[in-house]
Amino acid sequence: MQRPKPPLNILIVEDEPLIAMDLEMMVEDAGHSVVAEATSLYDAEELNDDLQPHLAFVDIQLALDTSGLDVSQLIQKRWPRTIIVFVTANPKIIPDDFAGAHGVMPKPLSRSGFLSAMKYIQEGVCDPPPTVQQPNSFTASPAFAATWDK
Amino acid sequence: MPMAITDPAQPDNPIVFVNEAFQLLTGYSREECIGKNCRFLQGDNTDPVAVAKVRKAVEAGDDIAIDLLNYRKDGSTFWNALYLSPVRGEDGAVQFFFASQLDVTERVESQRRIAGQKEQVDHEVRLRTADLEALLEAQSLLLHEVDHRVKNNLSVIGSLLRMQIRGAEEPVVRRALRSTMERVDAMAAIHRRLYQADDVRYFELSSFVVNLIQDAVNASAYNSLTLDSSVQRTVLPSEKATSAGLLINEVLLNLFETYLPLAAVKLDCHSDGKTISVTIGTRLLSKTPHHEMPAISAKLIARLAAQLEADVAWDRTLDGTSATIRIPVSSNHAET
Repeated sequence: MQRPKPPLNILIVEDEPLIAMDLEMMVEDAGHSVVAEATSLYDAEELNDDLQPHLAFVDIQLALDTSGLDVSQLIQKRWPRTIIVFVTANPKIIPDDFAGAHGVMPKPLSRSGFLSAMKYIQEGVCDPPPTVQQPNSFTASPAFAATWDK
Repeated sequence: MPMAITDPAQPDNPIVFVNEAFQLLTGYSREECIGKNCRFLQGDNTDPVAVAKVRKAVEAGDDIAIDLLNYRKDGSTFWNALYLSPVRGEDGAVQFFFASQLDVTERVESQRRIAGQKEQVDHEVRLRTADLEALLEAQSLLLHEVDHRVKNNLSVIGSLLRMQIRGAEEPVVRRALRSTMERVDAMAAIHRRLYQADDVRYFELSSFVVNLIQDAVNASAYNSLTLDSSVQRTVLPSEKATSAGLLINEVLLNLFETYLPLAAVKLDCHSDGKTISVTIGTRLLSKTPHHEMPAISAKLIARLAAQLEADVAWDRTLDGTSATIRIPVSSNHAET
C-alpha cells in the first residue's frame, strides 16, 4: 500500500474556536497542514468529497448538539483510509472498540503532549510501526495497529 | 385441651367424639359435631392451600401440624394450631384420627402484625433508597459536568497562552510565556490524572513524573537524547498533587533549559514508605556553565517545597545536573 509522506493533510472537527485555532497552530508547528475545519456534524457533512484527509482530530461534544462519534462514522464511510483521533475532555464516553476510530487524546492537551502524540501518529501513518514509544497523551485503538499490516 | 376423634372407616371421615374443651372453643355442642366432617369449622377466609395439606395428610395416613383459620358457631374466627395424627390398629390400618386444637390467635396475629410492620418499613426503605440513588446520580452528573468544564477551561487557557507565545516578538517575553504555559500544562496533566484514577484520594506521582519527563524528552530539540528510568510506584494524597506536580515540573523546566545541550536523562523515583524521593539527572553533550535560575523559578520551588515540607538538593557540574526532590508522606498514606 502507498503510504502518505509528511506533511500530512489534517481535518479538525472542534466547536471551541480557541482550541481549534490552537490545534491548527500546533499541527503546523509539527510540520503538517490543516486542510479543513468543522464545528458540527452538519459542517462535516458539507465537506468536499475530494478532501481525503490523512488524519482527522475529532472532538466529541460538538456544536448544534451533534456528536463526534457520528462524525467518525461519516468519515469512515466517506474516507475509509483516514485515521481518526478523538480529542476530548471526556474519554470515558468513547466505546471500548472506539467505534472504528483509531485513537484518543484526552484534553486538556499540553504542547509537548500533543507534539509527542503527533510524532507517534505520523510514524504510524507514514512509516509503521512507530519506533517511538506510545506517549501518555495518546491511546491507540486496535484499529490503528491494524492499518500497519496493509 | 380441645380434642376430636374422627372415623375414616365411615363415609367422609366424620367426627365420632369431641371433648368438653372442644365444645367451649368452637361454641358447638357435642350433638352438633358428631357425624360431621371437620371442615364445618372452615370459612371464607380459611386458606385453601392449608386445607389441601390437611386433606393430603389424611389420605396418606400421615400426621400433620398446621395453623388454620377456623370459625366458631357465632361466626367469630380463631387461629387453630391443629395437630392431626392417625391411630393404627395391630394390623397397621388407620382406625381413627386424633385431632387436638389450640387457640393461637394471639400468636398468629402478632406475627402478622410484625410482618405487616416489616413490610411497611421495607417499603419506606425502598422509597428512601430510590430517592438517594436519584440524588447520587444527579450529583455524579454534576461532578462529571464540573470536571468536563474544568478540563475545557484548562484547554482554553493553554490555547490562549500558546497563541500569545506565537505572537510575542521579544525572546524574553516568549520565554516567560512559555514557562507559564508549561506550568499550566503540568496542572492540566495533574487534573486529568486525578479524575481518571480509580481512587480519587490518591495521586500516582510516579507515572505523572514518568510522563512529564517522557514528553519533555520527546519535545526536546536534541533527537539523540536518551532516557533511563528506574521507577517504583509511589502515591501521594490528592491534596498534595498540585503542589508536588508543580514542584517537580519547575525543577524539570530548569534541567531542560534550552541553552543546555542534553545528551541523556536519568530518572529515579522510589519511596521507603516515609519519604518519596525523585532524582532527575542530566548529562550534557559538552561542558556548559550554568545560568542563574530565574528568580520566579527559585521562588516557586522554595514556596512549594516549604508547603510540602519537601527539600530539593541540586548537584551541578559542567557536565550535567542532578536534582533530588524528597517529599515526606505520613506512614498511613504510604501505599506501595
